[in-house]
Amino acid sequence: MYALGLCARWLHLASSILLVGAATTIALAGRSDRPTARRWEHRVLLGSRGLALAALGSGLIVLGLQTALFEGRGGAALEAGSIARVLIETQAGRVWLVRFGLLAILAAFLWSRLHVESSLDWRAARAQAMLLGAAALVPAAAAGHAAAVEPETARAIALDGLHVLGAGVWVGGLLPLALLLWTAAAEPGADARPYAVLAARRFSRLALGVVLVLVATGTLMAIANVGNVAGLVGTAYGRLLLAKLGLVVAALALAAVNRAVHLGRLAGDGPTVGRPAMRRLATFLVGEGLIALAVLAIVATMTVTPPARHEAPTWPFSVRLSFAALEGAPAASARVLIGSQIAVLGLVGLAAGLAIRGRRLPLVAGALVVLGAGVGLALPPLAVDAYPTTYLRPSVPYHAASIASGATLYREHCAACHGAGGAGDAPAGLRLARPPADLRGPHTALHTAGDLFWWLTNGIPEAGMPAFGRELGEEQRWDLVNFLRALSSGYSARGMRPAIEPDRPWLVAPDFTFAVGPTPPRSLREYRGRRTVLLVLYELARARSRLAEIAGRDGTLALLGVEVIAVPVDAAPDAIKRIGPEPRVLFSVVTEGAQAIVTAYHLLAASPHVEFLIDRQGYIRAVTRGSGAAGDLDKTIAEVQRLNEERTAASAPEEHVH
Amino acid sequence: MRAWKVVVLLNLALVVGVGWGYVFWGLRAARLDRELALARAAAASGVEREWVVAGVVRAVLPELDVLVITHGEIAGLMAPMTMGFRAASPKIHEGISIGDEVRFTLRGVPPNVVVTAIEKTK
Ligand code: HEC
Ligand SMILES: [Cu+2]
Repeated sequence: MYALGLCARWLHLASSILLVGAATTIALAGRSDRPTARRWEHRVLLGSRGLALAALGSGLIVLGLQTALFEGRGGAALEAGSIARVLIETQAGRVWLVRFGLLAILAAFLWSRLHVESSLDWRAARAQAMLLGAAALVPAAAAGHAAAVEPETARAIALDGLHVLGAGVWVGGLLPLALLLWTAAAEPGADARPYAVLAARRFSRLALGVVLVLVATGTLMAIANVGNVAGLVGTAYGRLLLAKLGLVVAALALAAVNRAVHLGRLAGDGPTVGRPAMRRLATFLVGEGLIALAVLAIVATMTVTPPARHEAPTWPFSVRLSFAALEGAPAASARVLIGSQIAVLGLVGLAAGLAIRGRRLPLVAGALVVLGAGVGLALPPLAVDAYPTTYLRPSVPYHAASIASGATLYREHCAACHGAGGAGDAPAGLRLARPPADLRGPHTALHTAGDLFWWLTNGIPEAGMPAFGRELGEEQRWDLVNFLRALSSGYSARGMRPAIEPDRPWLVAPDFTFAVGPTPPRSLREYRGRRTVLLVLYELARARSRLAEIAGRDGTLALLGVEVIAVPVDAAPDAIKRIGPEPRVLFSVVTEGAQAIVTAYHLLAASPHVEFLIDRQGYIRAVTRGSGAAGDLDKTIAEVQRLNEERTAASAPEEHVH
Repeated sequence: MRAWKVVVLLNLALVVGVGWGYVFWGLRAARLDRELALARAAAASGVEREWVVAGVVRAVLPELDVLVITHGEIAGLMAPMTMGFRAASPKIHEGISIGDEVRFTLRGVPPNVVVTAIEKTK
């Protein structure tokens, strides 16, 4: 079933693309009265008729399989009702309907016996075939992965549409052109030789532009669908893309040879230069065309493979490169700097070697050596250990509830070695040959969340760190990773002051969920992009005057876009009642969810009374550790005003995985 | 027929077909939009309505006959917030104090609504 689906998709894609190319090539070559040229045109036309039928037939199979997939049972592929539902209800179905209709019109047009003797008729008919072919091909973009890209879906679809159109012109033109050259190179085809040479030159010029468009749109689409290196090497989609790139590079190499060598020789002396060159060019074009058909097979597979962005990548190497490795290592930094300069030198040499005609070989070889040396010098210091899960994104969000359950797990399973505070100073740990790592250390910035997950799952056998993959479920291990992240963030945030550092957000505020009385729960995330949050963790006995101070300036704070959320550190469910009528507090006082918030945020800053100023992007920007006494609200308000004056940064913290 | 005429007719047919489809669907969508707007206006017009809402009491101001309540979303009236509601009579806030979790009835022609009943839920 899967294989049949792939074959049908490939056939459909290939025939749709070849249709565009055939029409373009005929239009490009132009009208001719030479018998050989007309014979060629007729054969391409016959081929196009076959292609149109193939596109229609394979399209029907694709639709049937799509329906079976949509309904979840094979029988649906043959039921009119189910098929109609897919056609009407799904985007892919509607796109299919439009494309199939256009293909059918194209087929009818190609099969009709139109007389195209006059120049006007000829041009009208050929242009129409081209137009219909393109119109039937391009909408396919709206049914593929591009339609699922968010945001900027329209841009993604436009890019994809341009990409397939370009592919149609280039890939589809190769085989008809090869046929023309082959026919013209034969003894009786002599009358069409100038025509063929002209067509080849025109095609070459057009193809150059088209290839540039293909590369540009392809790169942009790859960024949208793959995202990063891990997605490229670590997912099925990414590896298919790599295979596609490899084949495309091979096809481009052939194309470059054609352009540089064969094209120039076409016009030479007939029997000794022109005709052999024509045949060789035709062979190369066929080679290019076959590679392109293989590329289309990969593309057909990619359309049924989830894009890398939505997959968990498996990192295939045991190292990765990270600039974080240079932190606090001046010697290594210097080495990387020097190495990169040498590499740049090598690149310059390479460019020079390619540009200068004479002495190309020694120049290029020398430049490559310099480049290699530079890279060899610069890369090793950047290498960091990596694991299959290194680029795995946490499946449990960085949320106070997760951090809190991570804290509980840590106390049960880890504190005996790593110490209650994570410093690695517990008695059991100190007895080990290699003392447990200081988990608070900022060096955790060197490790991704996926690294930590790997160690928790598999342990570090040579160091005595046990594996927890069996003992703890996946979710629990992610809870621990989130806990460790909060722990080391708190260590890094020791120096955070009540004053913000303008334009320097770095400390991500863990999300949390809370409720005030019986109202529906809300989460910190909901304030993203809308309001600044002043999160107050208070102990009622000492904080009354501070609460009164904040309550007294309610209006000012609201005007500045500040949402005050107060959390009692004792997590009392009757916190509002306990505050009582004096001071008259009207901001949110958390009565549900307080425990997790307190646990998580005390990891970031532990103090009996502590206030966090969280900006609209979800970063903690200022921390006030106090006693709960009143007095400083003017300062807080000044900081809010400075925040409001900042240019808003677009970065969303949950994208940032560490 | 001459080929160019066929081409012109074909494209004309395509354009007319697409245009007709667009007009057909466009008109339909416009009609649905209008109906929706009418329905909205009807919902918002001056009819007296009633809601039962859960919340927590944040302040009691008997001298103003006002209760300040943190409430969840009130369908068709307002988002979740903390705000003061006028009580229909002074009797209503007898026995109600700060921190009480309550269920209360709002009645009136928006935006003029008053609390007509309230009971503690906890
Ligand atoms: C038997 C003692 C022991 C226990 C229990 C233990 N660890 Fe470890 N842990 C170690 C040792 C030893 C190392 C290795 C230190 C090194 O490589 O320098 C280590 C290393 C680590 C590291 C790698 C730190 C780094 O940056 O290199 C992490 C993360 C870690 N432990 C987390 C945990 C967590 C979470 C738990 C509880 C689920 C836990 N450990 C339980 C002993 C222990
Ligand atoms: Cu970071």
